[in-house]
Amino acid sequence: MEAFQGLIKGSLGSPAAIAGTLRETTPLLIAGIAVFFALRAGLFNIGVEGQLTVGACACAFVVLKIPGPFGIVLGTIAGMVAGGLWAMPAGLIKAYRGGHEVITTIMLNNVAGLFTLALVSGPMKDPTQEGTTTANIAESSHLPAVYDQNSLTISLALVFGLVGAIYLAGWFKRTVAGYEVRAVGANPTAAAVAGISAKNVIVRAMTTSGMIAGFAGAMQVLAFEHRFYGGFSPGYGFDALGVALLAGQSAFGLIPSSLLFGILAKGGTAIQIYGVPKGITTVILGVLIVVAAAIRYRKAKAVES
Amino acid sequence: MTGISKRFGAVQALDSVDLHVKAGAIHALVGENGAGKTTLMKILYGALHPDSGQLSVKGSSTEFRSSAQAIAAGVGMVSQHYGIIPELSCLQNLMLGAEDGPIIRSEEARQRAEELARSMGFRFDWNADASLLSPAAAQKLEILKLLWRKAEIMILDEPTAMLSPADGDALFHSLRKLTEDGATVILVTHRLPEVFDHCSQVTVLRGGKRVAEKAVFETSKNELAELIVGKALESNEVRNPELGSTRLQITRLQVFNDRGAEALKSINLEVKSGEIVGIAGVDGSGQRELVQSLVGTRPISQGTITFDDLPISSESPAMRIAAGLRLIPEDRHEDGVIEEWSLEENAALGLQRLFPFSKKGKIDIRRRAEEAAKIAQRFSTKHGGLAQPMSSLSGGNQQRFVAARALDIEPKLIVAFQPARGLDLAATAEVYRGIRDACSAGACALVVSFDLDELLENCDRVVAMNRGEVFEPPPNKELDRDAIGRLMVGAQ
Repeated sequence: MEAFQGLIKGSLGSPAAIAGTLRETTPLLIAGIAVFFALRAGLFNIGVEGQLTVGACACAFVVLKIPGPFGIVLGTIAGMVAGGLWAMPAGLIKAYRGGHEVITTIMLNNVAGLFTLALVSGPMKDPTQEGTTTANIAESSHLPAVYDQNSLTISLALVFGLVGAIYLAGWFKRTVAGYEVRAVGANPTAAAVAGISAKNVIVRAMTTSGMIAGFAGAMQVLAFEHRFYGGFSPGYGFDALGVALLAGQSAFGLIPSSLLFGILAKGGTAIQIYGVPKGITTVILGVLIVVAAAIRYRKAKAVES
Repeated sequence: MTGISKRFGAVQALDSVDLHVKAGAIHALVGENGAGKTTLMKILYGALHPDSGQLSVKGSSTEFRSSAQAIAAGVGMVSQHYGIIPELSCLQNLMLGAEDGPIIRSEEARQRAEELARSMGFRFDWNADASLLSPAAAQKLEILKLLWRKAEIMILDEPTAMLSPADGDALFHSLRKLTEDGATVILVTHRLPEVFDHCSQVTVLRGGKRVAEKAVFETSKNELAELIVGKALESNEVRNPELGSTRLQITRLQVFNDRGAEALKSINLEVKSGEIVGIAGVDGSGQRELVQSLVGTRPISQGTITFDDLPISSESPAMRIAAGLRLIPEDRHEDGVIEEWSLEENAALGLQRLFPFSKKGKIDIRRRAEEAAKIAQRFSTKHGGLAQPMSSLSGGNQQRFVAARALDIEPKLIVAFQPARGLDLAATAEVYRGIRDACSAGACALVVSFDLDELLENCDRVVAMNRGEVFEPPPNKELDRDAIGRLMVGAQ
């Protein structure tokens, strides 16, 4: 009980704690959108982690060369393009050769991690520093905060994430393209009969998912980390799988679901002073996901019978 | 069977139904979907227990607690969905569940199987895999399975649904032979001609009640149809006397199936404006591949398909839909609907890019709801609200919805694969009337069915498919049952 109070206090108890929670929430939300998008098309994009990493790396590379607002825009685009290109092969292999996207994206994750590590160990390394990291980006290249008072900071990146989730919910419901993506995810043969090219949708959905993941990486660099370094993502791409699974059928669900993950991530660090291992929050998350899946399965069964 | 009642939840499936079948008779049981035929038969062979009522077999009152008891008493059923396991040999299938003791003596078993088959005039390669059996042969094996179990009362549920007329006739020939030897056959069927050609007694169920039990010679087709539906059926006799110009032209079309075998051997076919062309044939004659290549989900290797002078065979499926092609698919679960989606969302499936469902890539939710309501109403789909998932509908109601959707927005070329699948007589007539109305308004239609009578009744002309080829009956015999029946099995 004490630990639970500590968890809440550590994540929501003070403006600084809330700021920390929101900071954790932001990449989880945007990466969650990436996973969610692919999931609607019936694709399990485990590669968000790698796409996020190359996106962050590409963004840092551009922003280090071109500072200022123009650099921010260009860096964001670079991150999205890199993430998209990183995901596209998995989509192509799935569509034209039937290779399972889970396998290909996992392998691409490893390539992404090691490739970017090589870059920051060599060409992109800041020579003045010991570790495998780039130099810090210029102050003028920082993404501005929308609110910054009493040590409560809300980054523009979070706003992008919120707007993105809300927009996506409408996009899936109200556009033909969104309808067709969902049709391929729900029943590919019926979609084909309905004149929808599943191959096309799979490649585009995978690439878009990678672009969103790359966007998440770019936001990490521009809003929070201000540099790129080896081992950049502490597993946001994997936590995002949980975020998307917990979100349910609508993209709106990504918002509370990523917030919950954010609270547990931030609070988890706080409760260590009570001698409770941080891993307990992972256990809580695991239980939540299993329960959510069980509820959905029961609903599906109820509809069938 | 006397006074049989059975209730499922709120539905009274059977309401004190009597059924008296004389020994040695072929007794027909007819009725609409949901009339209670299947429930009654399940009670007879022990798969269901009646809430009340008496069952007596061969004069002694009995009660079956399981189908094993029923078969022990000599009652067996050949179901609509064949109970043949394709991986086993014919002999293994024959014996399955009725082996004499724990040790199988193959040689003795084969001899007995051979004798049984010979007595019926059947021939089987007992060691061959059952997967190689044609639908007709599988049906025969099912009957032998019952004989193997010494069944004296046999229930056959729609036995000719998958058979050519010739195979169907052969089946009835062997059934008659069985009854001469003292067996009794109960035939559940939708096809009235079978009742008149082969049965001696007929029982009509409607809404869980027995509405008539008659000797066949005392009744007529019209009377029977009226008894089944409860009202006089409107006849669909209106055919289009005037046909327009050719709209669909299939030229030398060659297509391969999934296993790489030639499924369509350079076929030619044309359909004129206002015309409904029926394609008869035994299942697996190439109908499926023809429909797929029309829709665009199967690549064609040679030949062309043109519609209104537009070579649609080189267009994407989406372009073909935009050109007016509409499909009532064979397998609605797989091809026609997305089960977990609402009826409203399913209403747009295939039509999602067309006005009024969407405009410039944006879905018009309000208009879609209106169209969905229209589609559901057209063939009176029973549903619990348009926001309910498609999976909440029964198969027949899904079929009504899917058929109505295909006719909803300016169809120009209607391709229908078994459009009446799972529908009762009244709904079947309604769907064909819908297709006819569209064709009167200038569309044309290609209808595939395994039921020749259904095609003869509703099409302007019927062609036969056999082993990947299309055979057109000679002039003035476009609707001649015998001529087409011969073409279906490859006899000229």
